[in-house]
Amino acid sequence: MTELLAKEAQDEKWGMVIDLDICSGCQACVTACSMENNIPFVGEDEMAYGRGMQWMRIRRYWEGEYPEVTPDHQPMLCQQCGSAPCEPVCPVFATLHSEVEKINLQVYNRCIGTRYCANNCPYHARTFNWFDYEIPAPMNSYLNPDVTVRRRGVMEKCTFCVQRIVKGRQQASAEGREIEDGDVTPACAQACPTDAITFGNLSDPESRVSKMVRSDRAYKELENLGTEPRVTYLKGGKSYGG
Amino acid sequence: MKSSIPLWQRSSVRIVGALVLLILLGGAVGGIYYTQIPPEQPIPFPHNFHIGVGAQCSYCHTGAATGPNAGLPTTDKCWGCHQQIEPRNDNLKLVASYGSEGKQIPWVPVAIQPDFVVFSHQPHINAELTCETCHGDVARMTVAEPQKGQNMGWCLDCHQKMSTPEEFVLLSDCATCHY
Repeated sequence: MTELLAKEAQDEKWGMVIDLDICSGCQACVTACSMENNIPFVGEDEMAYGRGMQWMRIRRYWEGEYPEVTPDHQPMLCQQCGSAPCEPVCPVFATLHSEVEKINLQVYNRCIGTRYCANNCPYHARTFNWFDYEIPAPMNSYLNPDVTVRRRGVMEKCTFCVQRIVKGRQQASAEGREIEDGDVTPACAQACPTDAITFGNLSDPESRVSKMVRSDRAYKELENLGTEPRVTYLKGGKSYGG
Repeated sequence: MKSSIPLWQRSSVRIVGALVLLILLGGAVGGIYYTQIPPEQPIPFPHNFHIGVGAQCSYCHTGAATGPNAGLPTTDKCWGCHQQIEPRNDNLKLVASYGSEGKQIPWVPVAIQPDFVVFSHQPHINAELTCETCHGDVARMTVAEPQKGQNMGWCLDCHQKMSTPEEFVLLSDCATCHY
């Protein structure tokens, strides 16, 4: 049993840290995410109906009293909960927990589109393909071959760029070494101009994310629900974007 | 006048029903048949001959050891050797016409995966699998033939046989192939 637990601790437990104090709300992460993951453009009308498709969105708040208001931004994405509310409600096991990556997976070819998972997600992190959206030229030539192009009637959400995790692990194993901190960078973290997003292995106490999670400014969104989110936000005194 | 024969006993309904069933069955049989036969290639490439003269698989399918796709050779690769070979028959003349004009030969890929499956050759080659394990005895084929029964159960069977129970946790994880 102790061996099993030791093994458990060695496994990658992917986590993300988002520093809200240096996030400027520029939406570069949202764009990069859409490009990396072949997320369709739904257009203005569909967006107005609430059918917008983004795996990541910037929540904007206003702080202070008018006219002295400052914007406050929070990137919101799938929190890859350790105890995820979306998983037990899926009747076909299309959303399930990965034993290896310790993240929530969405298996598109299993999904039958009941949308129970999205209704049970406290973070509103899931989006549904209501229609087969056409990707306007020339963007249809930019599709990422590593990611499935989803069709109508399928639920989808942030995967922590699992295609990059798999690629990173394959690369490491081809070079005959263990996967290291910094080998895997999701598209949002790569695109962030202020480096507000950090990604890494939470079970390695020396990784960058593990050090940042121990910060005094760290908090987790809706932690009281017991979802065990893997995304940690850092928020203290505002120093940028105000 | 209202007919006293129940609907399902009327000959017209039965004939239409039988026709619909026949069309559906024919479609299914045809669909299965056409996915199991080798597709028509622009040139009926004789794999057996090329392997017979000593060409390695990786000489033409160069990407297998380093990336997800093994790849199909460009015309330049064919022309590199075939430039020095007299076009004795129609197929060799076809190669010569593609090669001398510098046009790409529109090979039809045979071993393909569905869109929701991500397959990479690299880890399989690193695990020292031979090409024949999945692609059949290509040394005896002329054009490449699709292999039967390559479904998810087939993948998992092999993953289980080739790995320890600890490794199988990774090799049976959904995220290994589906994302």
